[in-house]
Amino acid sequence: MMSDNRVHEIIIELENVPSGIQNHPSPTQIMRDKPLANSAFSMVSSTSDIHVTDSLIFSHRNDKKHNQLLEFSTSLKEPISQTLRSPECLGIDTACTFHETVQGQKLITSLIPMTSRERIKTIRNQPRTMEEKRKLRNIVDKEKSKQSHHTLQLKCCAQYLNSISRGYRRSKNSLSDLLSSISLWQKALKVIGGKFGTSVLSYFNFLRWLLKFNIFSFALNFSFIIIPQLTVAERNTLQFTGLEFLTGAGYFTKTVMYYGFYTNSTIRHRSSGPSYDMQLAYIFTIGAWLIACFFSLLYSMAKYFRNSFINPHIYSRGIAKFIFCWDFTVTHEKAVKLKQKNLSTEIRENLSEILQENVKFTFRQQLACFSAHVAAWLVSAGVAAACCVAVYYLAEYNSEFLRTHRDPGAVLLLPFVVSCINLIVPRFYSMFGLVERYEMPRHEVYTLLIRNIFLKISVIGILCYSWLNIVALSDEECWETFIGQEIYRLLLMDFVFSLADSFLGEFLRRIIGMRFITSLGLQEFDIARNVLELIYAQTLVWIGIFFCPLLPLIQMITLFIMFYVKYISLMRNFQPPSKAWRASQMITVFIFLLFFPSFTGVLCTLAITVWRLKPSANCGPFRGVPLFIQSIYLWIDTLRKRSGYTWVVWIYQNLISSVHFFFILTIIVLIITYLYWQITEGRKVMIRLLHEQIINEGKDKMFLIEKLTKLQDMEKRAKPSTLILERRETEQQGPLHLGECDATPDLRFRRSVQEDNLKA
Amino acid sequence: MGSKQTVFTHEQLEEYQDCTFFTRKEIMRLFYRYQDLAPQLVPLDYTSCPAVKVPYQLIGSMPELKDNPFRQRIAQVFSEDGDGHMTLDNFLDMFSVMSEMAPRDLKAYYAFKIYDFNNDDYICAWDLEQTVTRLTRGELSAEEVSLVCEKVLDEADGDHDGRLSLEDFQNMILRAPDFLSTFHIRI
Repeated sequence: MMSDNRVHEIIIELENVPSGIQNHPSPTQIMRDKPLANSAFSMVSSTSDIHVTDSLIFSHRNDKKHNQLLEFSTSLKEPISQTLRSPECLGIDTACTFHETVQGQKLITSLIPMTSRERIKTIRNQPRTMEEKRKLRNIVDKEKSKQSHHTLQLKCCAQYLNSISRGYRRSKNSLSDLLSSISLWQKALKVIGGKFGTSVLSYFNFLRWLLKFNIFSFALNFSFIIIPQLTVAERNTLQFTGLEFLTGAGYFTKTVMYYGFYTNSTIRHRSSGPSYDMQLAYIFTIGAWLIACFFSLLYSMAKYFRNSFINPHIYSRGIAKFIFCWDFTVTHEKAVKLKQKNLSTEIRENLSEILQENVKFTFRQQLACFSAHVAAWLVSAGVAAACCVAVYYLAEYNSEFLRTHRDPGAVLLLPFVVSCINLIVPRFYSMFGLVERYEMPRHEVYTLLIRNIFLKISVIGILCYSWLNIVALSDEECWETFIGQEIYRLLLMDFVFSLADSFLGEFLRRIIGMRFITSLGLQEFDIARNVLELIYAQTLVWIGIFFCPLLPLIQMITLFIMFYVKYISLMRNFQPPSKAWRASQMITVFIFLLFFPSFTGVLCTLAITVWRLKPSANCGPFRGVPLFIQSIYLWIDTLRKRSGYTWVVWIYQNLISSVHFFFILTIIVLIITYLYWQITEGRKVMIRLLHEQIINEGKDKMFLIEKLTKLQDMEKRAKPSTLILERRETEQQGPLHLGECDATPDLRFRRSVQEDNLKA
Repeated sequence: MGSKQTVFTHEQLEEYQDCTFFTRKEIMRLFYRYQDLAPQLVPLDYTSCPAVKVPYQLIGSMPELKDNPFRQRIAQVFSEDGDGHMTLDNFLDMFSVMSEMAPRDLKAYYAFKIYDFNNDDYICAWDLEQTVTRLTRGELSAEEVSLVCEKVLDEADGDHDGRLSLEDFQNMILRAPDFLSTFHIRI
């Protein structure tokens, strides 16, 4: 029988098996809900103590190599899992549960010094049953309170901090409760996910995220700019006709909607009351909003990057991702069946790809492919350029055109043309897919994405250029309001076209697919195109906030309506996607797109506006100053004269407007980036080496097993009488699934007998 | 569900909050879902921690699980005795791991256990065959299924012992960034 010391030795040996991730159970602790402790070991030893003995010998001999330890744990696991699954062990006292094992004690001691937030996080991440987690938590709490009793005097401030953190945590919990109760569209998203899967769901999640963004922008604008202006609003003398909703001009010109309406004065309601400088409020609100947007985009991007791009250099073309990434969110019966059918098709395609990997195209075929690609790129670039030229000429001659045509609807020509371009040209690009052939379907998606992005960026770029260079310098009465109106019209026309597309276009497509050309079937939701449309609209909103502070509200209403329109259209006119769509990587790409061309473009536009352009002289909060930025310079000047605010002036002079500070900051950031990049490169090398090491260890294991099998064969031939004894031992160990495991206990038994004989 | 609830003591709710990824409201909502499965069996007062198990047939008929090809394995993995009958603790545990707030390692661990049909802590070829059959519903022929299993072992088996250990599985999951969003059941 095993002595307790030997049992503990075994446990300690197991502890030294390095487990890759913290709080990650090593292979021996995978049986999470069964007593994995002294009682189990003693049971094992009772059933086959020779087995455990020679395992000990085995591990003692080679205690450094951890593949042997794995082997030991493998063989030990088999008997444990059998004994534990047998009914009589369920009645075993639960006193020897996880938290009384050595590993449990180690976990508890590591949990005690942690802060409560980290402790909760660690307990939640434990792969244990609820009961074990609860016991862990209670034990740690008891230990912690015991400890705190001892060190009462020294840690009084620590206790105070503890109670603060507990109160903070409770308030955070109730806040998250509140937020989740008002969370929008939970049920709708669940239905969409249930029928269409995670990929289509990602579009709607993106829409919801943009809506939250706009709500925040609007709240900021509303509280700091719009409300003060409303308190000193002048009466609106213009007439209201219904056309204002489309053109944005007319009655709306003299409302809080546009820049021109805002006063440049300092608002003061009582003669000695607090004053509110509208100029400074306007520019600071926009500045604060930009900074908040920047950081939240950066944070989202970093979060998605971390999840998606852990190992970019070995994304497998393989088949394993089909098998293990089944979409658990799909709950609709028909959708599940369809998904299973699609999965079979994809697996077959993947198998045939793997089998055909050695087939190479002939030179002629390669040339044909290459020339098709080049032609497609030339055509798409040409079309984009043509559209840009058209938009530019239209923008340039817009003012003349408006003068000759007095019709109030004439202002809608430019937005109409832009929306038509945005509607037709992406579909034209999709048709290239019939001509071009790609090695991987991924390349097709990316190429289409790049072409569409290029088109949209060029269009917005040309519009911005025409606004800033032509409109701002023309003799318009209030050019900022005019730009705001243009942006409003663009957004509205885009919205109208999207509605028309969903109601008419998709509906017609369904009728055609179901009645007339039944081979087409229902269409699939084109996620990339729809997300790009969202990004385009959001870029317009960002550019327009400076000129039309009410724009986030309009975008909010638009997004809200779009959600329901797209949802209803999706349910009726679409079928679930047939190909696997790498949702998380694509969402990362989209957020990156939102940040990089979109947001930085907006920053550039606003920077040019604020630093280079002259505000109109008769309207808006910046009338009278030669440049928008002058308002800040004037403010700093007034502060300089006042005592008590010299620190603000100091910060401005030495940190914000000084070149040296930014230079030093840039150098520091570049150095840190370079260091992190080198660390990443080093880690990649490390990963590769460790991977090779794992393969080598596997080969070692195979080699040793072969050698031992050979030795065993030789033994068998030499001593046939002990054969019968062996067979009885193997039968006692119960059914084993794997051939290898069958071999190894034999071998160890045989080897130990051999060694005993040798010793004797 | 007003502000005063008599189902759990304050202490019990705090424990559940600390041990799962759910807020108070979500725990109460989940409790009522659990109770709806078997109204006669599940009492409305859990302050005395009754030992009540809802049988697998009712768990498997939940709309979130009823068409899932792996519903039986999920229930078996999270139930106490491996037979699919779940207590409230098991139920909360299951949805906590399958929620979107659970980290990748925890999900990978339980996914590994779900795909390990014979509970031997390795995914061997037989486990893979079972998985593939359930995923494709008999659309693939037997040779295709075994070819698929072979390819998967080729790709993912790091130490070449003919079966996937937890480390091999986790390493493979790292290369599939969609895993986090697909291994998710919304309730």
